[in-house]
Amino acid sequence: MATTGNKNINAKLVLLGDVGAGKSSLVLRFVKGQFIEFQESTIGAAFFSQTLAVNDATVKFEIWDTAGQERYHSLAPMYYRGAAAAIIVYDITNQASFERAKKWVQELQAQGNPNMVMALAGNKADLPDTRKVAAEEAQAYAQENGLFFMETSAKTAANVNDVFYEIAKRLPRVQPAQNPSGMVLMDRPAERVASASCCS
Amino acid sequence: MYGIPKYGRFRSLKIHRIYTRDSVTTRNCPALLCLPGPTLTPSLSSLLPRKSQPSPAFVSKKKPLSLSLSVHESLAMQETELHDLSDDADYAASQLQASASMMRSDGIKRSSSSEPDGAEIVYLKDNVTIHPTQFASERISGRLKLIKQASSLFMTWIPYKGQSTNAKLSEKDRNLYTIRAVPFTEVRSIRRHTPALGWQYIIIVLSSGLAFPPLYFYNGGVKEFLGTIKQHVFLVRSAEDANVFLVNDFGNPLQRTLSSLELPMAVSVASEPSTSISVGESPLNENQERTDVVFGNSSASLYNGKQRQKKASNVTEKIPDGSPVASDPLENISYMKHNHVEEAATNLGTFELIDCKEVDKLTLVWGKPRQPPLGFEEWFTFLDSEGKVLDSKALRKRIFYGGVEHGLRKEAWAFLLGYHSYDSTYAERTYLRSIKKSEYETIKFQWQSISPEQAKRFTKFRERKGLIEKDVVRTDRSLSFYDGDDNANVNLLRDILLTYSFYNFDLGYCQGMSDLLSPILFIMEDESESFWCFVALMERLGPNFNRDQNGMHSQLFAISKLVELLDSPLHNYFKQHDCLNYFFCFRWILIQFKREFEYEKTMRLWEVLWTHYLSEHLHLYVCVAILKRYRNKIMGEQMDFDTLLKFINELSGHIDLDPILRDAEALCICAGENGATCIPPGTPPSLPVDDGSFYTQQDDDVL
Repeated sequence: MATTGNKNINAKLVLLGDVGAGKSSLVLRFVKGQFIEFQESTIGAAFFSQTLAVNDATVKFEIWDTAGQERYHSLAPMYYRGAAAAIIVYDITNQASFERAKKWVQELQAQGNPNMVMALAGNKADLPDTRKVAAEEAQAYAQENGLFFMETSAKTAANVNDVFYEIAKRLPRVQPAQNPSGMVLMDRPAERVASASCCS
Repeated sequence: MYGIPKYGRFRSLKIHRIYTRDSVTTRNCPALLCLPGPTLTPSLSSLLPRKSQPSPAFVSKKKPLSLSLSVHESLAMQETELHDLSDDADYAASQLQASASMMRSDGIKRSSSSEPDGAEIVYLKDNVTIHPTQFASERISGRLKLIKQASSLFMTWIPYKGQSTNAKLSEKDRNLYTIRAVPFTEVRSIRRHTPALGWQYIIIVLSSGLAFPPLYFYNGGVKEFLGTIKQHVFLVRSAEDANVFLVNDFGNPLQRTLSSLELPMAVSVASEPSTSISVGESPLNENQERTDVVFGNSSASLYNGKQRQKKASNVTEKIPDGSPVASDPLENISYMKHNHVEEAATNLGTFELIDCKEVDKLTLVWGKPRQPPLGFEEWFTFLDSEGKVLDSKALRKRIFYGGVEHGLRKEAWAFLLGYHSYDSTYAERTYLRSIKKSEYETIKFQWQSISPEQAKRFTKFRERKGLIEKDVVRTDRSLSFYDGDDNANVNLLRDILLTYSFYNFDLGYCQGMSDLLSPILFIMEDESESFWCFVALMERLGPNFNRDQNGMHSQLFAISKLVELLDSPLHNYFKQHDCLNYFFCFRWILIQFKREFEYEKTMRLWEVLWTHYLSEHLHLYVCVAILKRYRNKIMGEQMDFDTLLKFINELSGHIDLDPILRDAEALCICAGENGATCIPPGTPPSLPVDDGSFYTQQDDDVL
C-alpha cells in the first residue's frame, strides 16, 4: 500500500490476553502516555485511536481493548473479526498468562484474518525479579508461530511504542491492496465505513 | 340490558384505570409515544389502505347534498370536560337517548328536512379536532356529522378550510385526514377516552382493524354522538372494556376481546377526494336497495375559532413545567414505523399513510423534580413501633424520587436489596443478622480451610482466587476507603468475593462483581452484612454474568426495542449503522452504571433502581434517557459503532444523574405497557420467571 502512493492507512488492532496482563495499560501508555498503577478492569470493551508516522506514511490505529476474563471469551470474535493486527499480551511474572496467550494465538490462527499481523508482548518487564516466563521461551514460541515478540513495560514505557511501530511497519507489506480486511485506504473518509465491519 | 346498576360495580375500577393512563400521558408526554394497546404490528403497512385507487366499492355519485344548517352554539354545549370522569353516565345517557329525539341530542338546532334523497343529518358537531402532531398549531378542526340515508348511517368528518391558526396546514393535509362518509357497516367499534385533563376523544376502529386518528370533542358531545348512533345501528358496550362500544356486533358481542379492538391503530385516511360512496351489502341493509349518499364539502363557519384558541391555552397553563399540551400518543402510532409515505392496498381500497414529521422535536423537559434524600426523621415515620415498614410501596416511592441520606443507607439498602423483608421487626432483623453472620463464617471457612497443598491440586480455586486478587486491588482504589497498601477493606472485598464464589460456585467470580460489591461494603461496613446484601443483589444481577451472555443479551435487546418505541429515528440510525446490538451499553448494564457516575451518584442511582417502584427495569430506561440526551450528537456526527463505543465510554463522569433520572422516569411512564412488552419476562434484574407471585406484585406496581 505504501507503494501505491497512498500514505494514510487505517488499521484495526485488537488487544487480547489474560486478566491483568496489562492490555489496557499498554494502550493507555501508547495513546495517552499515561500509566495508572491500579488500572481498573475493562468491562466489555474500550476503543481508542492513535496515529503513527511510519517512514513516509501514517497509520491510524483503531484499537480495541477487550476484557480479559475467559467468561467474556464469547465476545472476542466481535472485536478481532476484520482486525488487521493483534497484540497478544501476557504477564512475564505469570506463567498462566503465557499459556493463555498461546490459546489466543491459536484462536486467531484458526478464526482470524489470515493476513493479520500478530505481536506477542511480554508485559511487566519492569518486574524481572518475579519473572516466570523466560524471554527465550516466548521468543521461540513467537518465531514458530510467525509472530514478532517484544517484552514491554507499560509502567516504564519500555518498548510500548515500539510494538505499535513495528506493527505499523509490517502492515502494508502483508496487506494486499485489494484485500480490505480491516484496512482501508483513507483518501476518502467515506470509505472508512468498510473498516468498521467488526461489529456486525 | 346494560343499565347503570349493572355496571356500577365496574365503574370505579375503570375510572381509576383510565385516569391513571390518561393523566399520565396528558401531563407528561409532549414528545413521546405511548400506545395503549400491546401491539406494534410490523406488517402494519400491509393493512393500510392507500389513496390512489378508490375502492371498487366506492362508486361515484350524483349531485351534492345541499344542507341548510343553522348552527347555534349554545352555552349548554360548553360541557365541563376537563375533569369529566363521569364514565358510565355517558352510556346511561346513550341508553336514554335511544328513545329520545335526536333534535335534543346535541343542543344544536338544525334543519334536516330539506335534504334530498332522504339523506338526513342526525348529528352534527363543530370543533371536533384531530392532533396530527404534538403541536397545537398543527391541529386540524372540523365538523363531525352522522348522516342517515334510508336505514344506513354514515359518519363524516370534514376539516375546516382556511383556518388562520393552521398556517402549516396544507390542502393535502386536510384531504389526508378527511373522513368521507364511512358507513357504520364498516365500523367495528368506538372507543371513548376521558382524560382527567384535556378533551374527551374517541377512536373509531374499522372492521378491517384500521382506526381513524383520535377525534377530540372540543365542545363536548361524545355522549350525544354515541346516543345518536345507538338510535340507528346496533351498539353494545364491550364486556371487557366499558369504554369500548361495539358496532353491529351480532355474533357474540361479549366475546370480543379488548385486544382485538386495539390492533393496528394506524392513522390512515383516504386522501383522494372521493365525494361519494356506494354502500355495499351488509347485515343491516341487505334487503334494501342500494342507497347512495352524497354530500359536499361544507365550508363551516369559523365563528368560534377564538374560543377554541382560548380553551387550548387554558389547558396549557394547567400543565406542569409549562410543557406544551401533550398530544395523545395514539396520534403518533404511525410514526412508530413509518416516517415516510407508504402505500398499501387493502380490501377497503387504497390509502396513503401520512407522511409523518419527526416525533422527537421536543426534548424531554419534564419528569418530577428530584426530592431531597430521605433522612432519619422521615424514615422512622415509615416504621411502626416494632420496626416494621408499614407501607413499603410508599417508602419505595419516596426513595425513588429522592434517594436516601448517606447515613441511612446502611439501614435502607438492606430492605431495598431484599436482605431484610419490609415486614420484619427490629428483633427479627437482629436475629437474622446473627444467624447470617455464622452462616457466612461457615461458607467462608470452606475456602479458608484449603491448605496450600490442597490448592496445588485445585486449579479452579487458584484461578478464582488469582482473578479476584487481581481485581480487588484495582477496584475504586482512588477512594480513601480502599486506598493505600494493605488496605483492610480491599482484603474484605477479596474475602467476600471468594466466599461468594463458594456460595454460588456455579457462577463463581466474574469481572464486574468487584464493582458491584465495592459500594455495598463501603455502606454496610460489615463483612457478613455486605456479603448477604451482595448475595441479594446477585439474585437479580447474577444472569448478567452468565457464560452464554444471555442475561446481557436480553437486556441489550430490550434496550433496542425500547429505543425503537421511544425514539424511532435514533433506532433507524443505529440500524443503518449496524449498531443494533447495543453493545456500547454493555458496561452500563453489566455493572449498573458503576463506571459512569461518581461514587456518590452511583449509590444514588442504585438505590433508586432498587426500589423497583415504576419498573424493575428502570435501568433500561436510564439507558434510553442517556442515549436520547446525546442523540443529536450521535446522529449529527454520524458516529459509527467504534466511534459510538468510544464516545459512550468517554461519557463516564460527564452524565448529570438527576435529569437522566427524570427523563428515565418519564420515558418509563410514557412507554407504559408497551415498554413493558419490550422487556421479556425474566430479563434481569427480574427474579427468575418461575416466581409467579413476584410478577403479579410488580404488575400492580406498574399500573
